[in-house]
Amino acid sequence: MRAAVFWGCRILTSQYAYEMSVRETFPRFNVELVDLSEVNCCGDPVKSVNNLAASYLAARVVAVATKTGLEDLLLPCNRCHFVISEAKNALGKDRKASKRISNALREEGLEYNPNIRIWHVIDFLHDFVGLDNVKRGVQKPFASLKLATHVGCQIIRYSDLRRVDDAENPRKLDELVGVLGADTVDYAEKLDCCGANLMYSHPDSALSLAGTKLNALQNLAVDGLVVSCPDCGLMFDYKQKDAGTIVGAKLSLPVVYYTQLLGLALGIQKEKLGLHLNQSPVDQLLTKISD
Amino acid sequence: MSLTDLMSMAKPNLGSREKILAKLGGEELVNCFQCVKCTSGCTALKLLELKPHEIIRLVNLGFVDELACSDTIWTCATCLKCIERCPQKASPYHVIMALRNLAIEKEANAPEGYLKAVSRILEIGIAEAVQEVVTRKMEIFNRGSLKLPEIAYPKEGFRTAFMKILEEK
Repeated sequence: MRAAVFWGCRILTSQYAYEMSVRETFPRFNVELVDLSEVNCCGDPVKSVNNLAASYLAARVVAVATKTGLEDLLLPCNRCHFVISEAKNALGKDRKASKRISNALREEGLEYNPNIRIWHVIDFLHDFVGLDNVKRGVQKPFASLKLATHVGCQIIRYSDLRRVDDAENPRKLDELVGVLGADTVDYAEKLDCCGANLMYSHPDSALSLAGTKLNALQNLAVDGLVVSCPDCGLMFDYKQKDAGTIVGAKLSLPVVYYTQLLGLALGIQKEKLGLHLNQSPVDQLLTKISD
Repeated sequence: MSLTDLMSMAKPNLGSREKILAKLGGEELVNCFQCVKCTSGCTALKLLELKPHEIIRLVNLGFVDELACSDTIWTCATCLKCIERCPQKASPYHVIMALRNLAIEKEANAPEGYLKAVSRILEIGIAEAVQEVVTRKMEIFNRGSLKLPEIAYPKEGFRTAFMKILEEK
């Protein structure tokens, strides 16, 4: 099976571990990922500035993906997944905006076709590849590992758009971790936002949100936190030290992308999964896994 | 400016509601009955005192220009819980986004981060600049040394089309 992949900005410019681990793990399930060429930002920061321009950006991503002739588009970033889902929905209803955007795309020889199927890493693996197939690929199941999951906000809300999982009780990421042999915990702060979007305007508050959640998790004595969004990865992994400073706590919680964890279970070398790039103390987790 | 300052002695202008309704493309606002579910679950309530139900009420009362000039509308973390939980589909998230768009049109103060992102998209097509990363062992990596493919940025035609849409009224 071949699918187009749109990485968005954050993954391509700093969250390399996510990109590497998706590129390594997907072919193991016979999925060939086709990169889009000369593609733009999905439109997320532009939504606050000019909604029509944001919809144009999202539609252009879909149009570039359509040009590949493939029927499926993978969006590993939660924010891109939301912005593109919402633009597709809005353009279906607003004929005037849709016409204006189609004209702009035509200037570049592009055509907007809303029929391409969009996927996130979580629903692609859970619903398309299937839990059984994921489980079958596992070479090294993780016994006695206790992990927490954080699915993020924008792939589960709002339900009127077709979303990846339930808005109030998302289970798919937990199930995906479960088939690797690890246990997942339910915790009160599970749906709390990482705060990434506030980095544009209120960075201290953003870090405070991330730090508060990490501190709560640390008190639960979990072995690590599993994420699958580059913004959440940025806040919980890259910015963990800063977040700890803001909330006045010594944070030391391993944070990994689901695809990194999956790659380890599939027997892929940790450097290929970018595990040397995580800023949080993932060695604690790796030691427990190799024991 | 803070909303409280902007609201002292402010006079409602019911006509200003239309600016928001036009951006929402529907009558999503009128059904709010102030149940405060949005505010009780709001990510930005505790730290930044964002109260989405208050924003909906103020728009309905005609205090749109005051809101567009306030700092409050820039405190939303876009977690989308308000829209998910609203029993009337009043969607504070969309109202806040419409107010932000209005603030930009009025050239009111907007956080620099958003404007920087837009100018970077105009410049290179994406919203972030490529970064080197330093590992836990202090080694430096970039896309090249990680054997990741080079980024193929969009060409001039994209910038022209994007600029044209941004400048439209």
